[in-house]
Amino acid sequence: MKIFLNLLKTPSFLFGAGCFLLTLCLAFIFPFVYPIDTVTRVGLPYMPPSASHWLGTDHMGVDMVSLIVTGLRSSLYVGFLAGIIATGIGTLMGIYAGFKGGWQDNIITMVTNLFIVIPSFIVLILISSSLKEGRSLALIAGIIGCTTWTWSARSVRAQASSLIARDHIALARVNGTGTFGILLFHILPYLMSYVFMVFILQIASGILSEAAISMIGLGPYDSVSLGTLLNESMKNEALGDGAWWAFVPAAGLITIVVFAFYVINTSMEGVFNPRLRK
Amino acid sequence: MSIFEVDDLHLHYRTRFGEKIPAVSGVSFALEQGEVFGIAGESGCGKSTLVNGCMGLFIPPLYPTSGDVRVAGESIMNRTPADVRTNVLGRKVSMIPQGAFNSLSPTRKIKDIAADMIESHEKGVSKKAIHDRLQQRFRLIGMDADTVLNEYPVRLTAGMRQRCVISISTLLNPQVVIADEPTSALDVTTQKAVITMVFDMLDKGIFSSMIFITHELPLLRHVADRIAVMYAGEFVEVGTTEQIIFDPRQPYTKALMGAMLSAEAGQKQKKPVAIEGAPPNLAKPIVGCRFAGRCPEARPECHRNKQDIRIVGNRQVRCDYAV
Amino acid sequence: MLKHHPTLRYILTRSLWYFLTFLMAVTLNFFLPRLGASNPVDILMTKVGAGLDTKAAQEKEEAYLKEFGLVEVDGNGTLLRTSDGRPVRTPIWKQFCNYIAMCLKGDFGTSFLNYPKKVSDIIKTALPWTFALQFPTIILGWLVGNVLGALAAYKRGIFDKVLFPFSLLLSAVPFFAFGMLLVYQFAIRWEIFPAMGGYAGGLIPGFNLAFFSSAVYHYALPFFSIFIVQAGSQAIGMRSMCIYELGTDYVKYAKGLGIRENKILYYLFRNAMLPQLTGLALSLGAMIGGALITEMIFSYPGLGMAILTAIQGNDYPLIQGCTLLITVCVLLANFTVDILIGFLDPRVRAGQRGK
Repeated sequence: MKIFLNLLKTPSFLFGAGCFLLTLCLAFIFPFVYPIDTVTRVGLPYMPPSASHWLGTDHMGVDMVSLIVTGLRSSLYVGFLAGIIATGIGTLMGIYAGFKGGWQDNIITMVTNLFIVIPSFIVLILISSSLKEGRSLALIAGIIGCTTWTWSARSVRAQASSLIARDHIALARVNGTGTFGILLFHILPYLMSYVFMVFILQIASGILSEAAISMIGLGPYDSVSLGTLLNESMKNEALGDGAWWAFVPAAGLITIVVFAFYVINTSMEGVFNPRLRK
Repeated sequence: MSIFEVDDLHLHYRTRFGEKIPAVSGVSFALEQGEVFGIAGESGCGKSTLVNGCMGLFIPPLYPTSGDVRVAGESIMNRTPADVRTNVLGRKVSMIPQGAFNSLSPTRKIKDIAADMIESHEKGVSKKAIHDRLQQRFRLIGMDADTVLNEYPVRLTAGMRQRCVISISTLLNPQVVIADEPTSALDVTTQKAVITMVFDMLDKGIFSSMIFITHELPLLRHVADRIAVMYAGEFVEVGTTEQIIFDPRQPYTKALMGAMLSAEAGQKQKKPVAIEGAPPNLAKPIVGCRFAGRCPEARPECHRNKQDIRIVGNRQVRCDYAV
Repeated sequence: MLKHHPTLRYILTRSLWYFLTFLMAVTLNFFLPRLGASNPVDILMTKVGAGLDTKAAQEKEEAYLKEFGLVEVDGNGTLLRTSDGRPVRTPIWKQFCNYIAMCLKGDFGTSFLNYPKKVSDIIKTALPWTFALQFPTIILGWLVGNVLGALAAYKRGIFDKVLFPFSLLLSAVPFFAFGMLLVYQFAIRWEIFPAMGGYAGGLIPGFNLAFFSSAVYHYALPFFSIFIVQAGSQAIGMRSMCIYELGTDYVKYAKGLGIRENKILYYLFRNAMLPQLTGLALSLGAMIGGALITEMIFSYPGLGMAILTAIQGNDYPLIQGCTLLITVCVLLANFTVDILIGFLDPRVRAGQRGK
């Protein structure tokens, strides 16, 4: 717990967490004071920002602010879900491999390396392009989660294998605690801080992946996300028309959220590994 | 004239918040030509800090508070870092570090590290000249120069690495060599080989005198001429080897000897007695004797009165009540 | 014999592993697109078959089925039929074998969109552009980023305090978003650089000065959008690596020996570079993906655009051909980095001795 208090004292952590909380507010609290409407056309296509519509309109004349807020919600949702899936799979694989060692470790490492080397982006393209109609946000998150877990697996495995050498594990083994019990009660608590850091980065990566896949047109069908907004702006020549409000806010939001996560991760690294501090 | 003198040296660490923590408090000793001076103490007593101080190697947050260190009469304190690097380190004073494996860059061959050492101190030496020097020196101390020089550290055994490190440290024939726990990570046979090598070098005149730092007091019996025992940043007793090993006066020295296993022939095998407690936290000001909290012979006055090191006969003892 | 040549063993082991991975990639490349229910021939028929009567439509459909290897044919090329006259569908495993055979011959099939153009022809024109853009950019970004990161770690002070948050921000920006911003600012608003294409519209690719200068001019913005983000993220990693290395024993010992500062920096760089190389290998897949999207934003005539148009037009053979090629490139790049690490890090080779 002392570590947690130390964290709260670190300015970089507060900055990152603050940014993230602001975006959460924008996504979930702001709608209470602002009417979110992504369907009605409230003006001409690509109207510049004005007093009534702070970010103008999109190519169909829909209010941009509504689109941004809705898109933010979807992107956060996908990132979060993908992060959970990826961290879950990766942590389980990593702990099992790191703890068991031997041939189990070798197989899991081989599988992990396989998934690492084959670009997940390509796999995303292949899967998404074949599922034309059924692409929901959850499905996209699922696909992203199932293809990007490799990084967590690797990191967690490294930590776990260094932990098993410690004495209290040997003690537990001698006492006859089963594999699963050891994993759950003796290793996981030590890894929690590390897993949490990994989780943060997986969410960030999930948001980026969703934006990437949506931008090329393989995103969720019928949902608005920050990535689909970028895709729309590209398809409708927003760049050429000078309609910066069609893509700058979306790109900016992605950057801010991901940046906030990176900062949080860096500050946590600084607290858990003091050598990186000045 | 002593070849190496430390005169009332005080060193401190500066924390993030500007506090000064005294790491070494008032250490004084002198080294004669050809002498091996042992310094023994627990982990954290300030041995390694003292090593840095003796070399003039002050990397923040370590700073000198006061005192002087002289090599052959010349002070090495109050010099610019560039001056220290070129003229002191490796030339006048050189160190043999504790863990040889980690002390050699894993991606550099032995001969390249050695060459860097020479090139950093001497200008305009040709590659051929360096090569010949290395061959000559390594052979002189009984190492197979051709194989070892061309290897990466990872390919050598622990003992070989330690011997390489010793060779590199003494390449420029320094006057004083400070060995910081050179045998701690080695098995007994290799320890013997390393110590033999070091003494061989001493005999051949490659360096003049040595400070040998260890936490194993019995080792010093075979190695040192004089011994100083260090505790919490201070010397608590200084004397000849015979005096310290067989006739310790200061309670900490006595306790240290009692806590050691000794395979001396003829000596009755006594059960080692651990010293209770832990060294004091130097960040807080200490009243009285620093060892008082753990001293088996402590009296009430010990907690109040600071003990100065006194000359008792031909040795120094930091305890007014020592027998 | 192999026991005495750790380097050779290392290369062979890695080669074997990469070959297995390649087989896996080909398998994935074949089966994944077939996950969905959509039948490429149906899609083709909707485009082409409008207005044809039933008989003609059926003939056309069968012709397509035959062309895409979805039905069985006998020795003369005539369709085999079931008892009620319908063509016999090729089982999936047979399709897979045919696919592998075709790939090994370099034949990736025929593109739907650009029918009857062959996929391999389309790829052949697009590949040089992608290679020219991505290869130097990623390498340069890696080098510059690492140097900056090392400097930041060593110098600390203002240089570090400014560079670090800035790099962190840069690495958070998605490649493509950065590309879009650059296009907007430098191409639309300030009109310094062209917004899209690989070269000016009227020119024909050829080895002449006009074409080259136009190509270089169009190269600038895509180059910077990949290069800057890449350098930023590398700087971050390298900085952490170097800070860690600065605390190691060999740096302390080298300082204690009085070795010159730039020599110590060299040790540092050499050692910190190795995990960075590993990191490069691990992230190559993602980087190339990002660079492809950048190509799409700039309508750069490389593989990125090919994939984009293929996706938009449901051109399966083209999608598959491109993805397979990209996967192979990533594998090759990873393999190269692996071998490079083997040569640069003596510890890796030492690990190969039959311990």
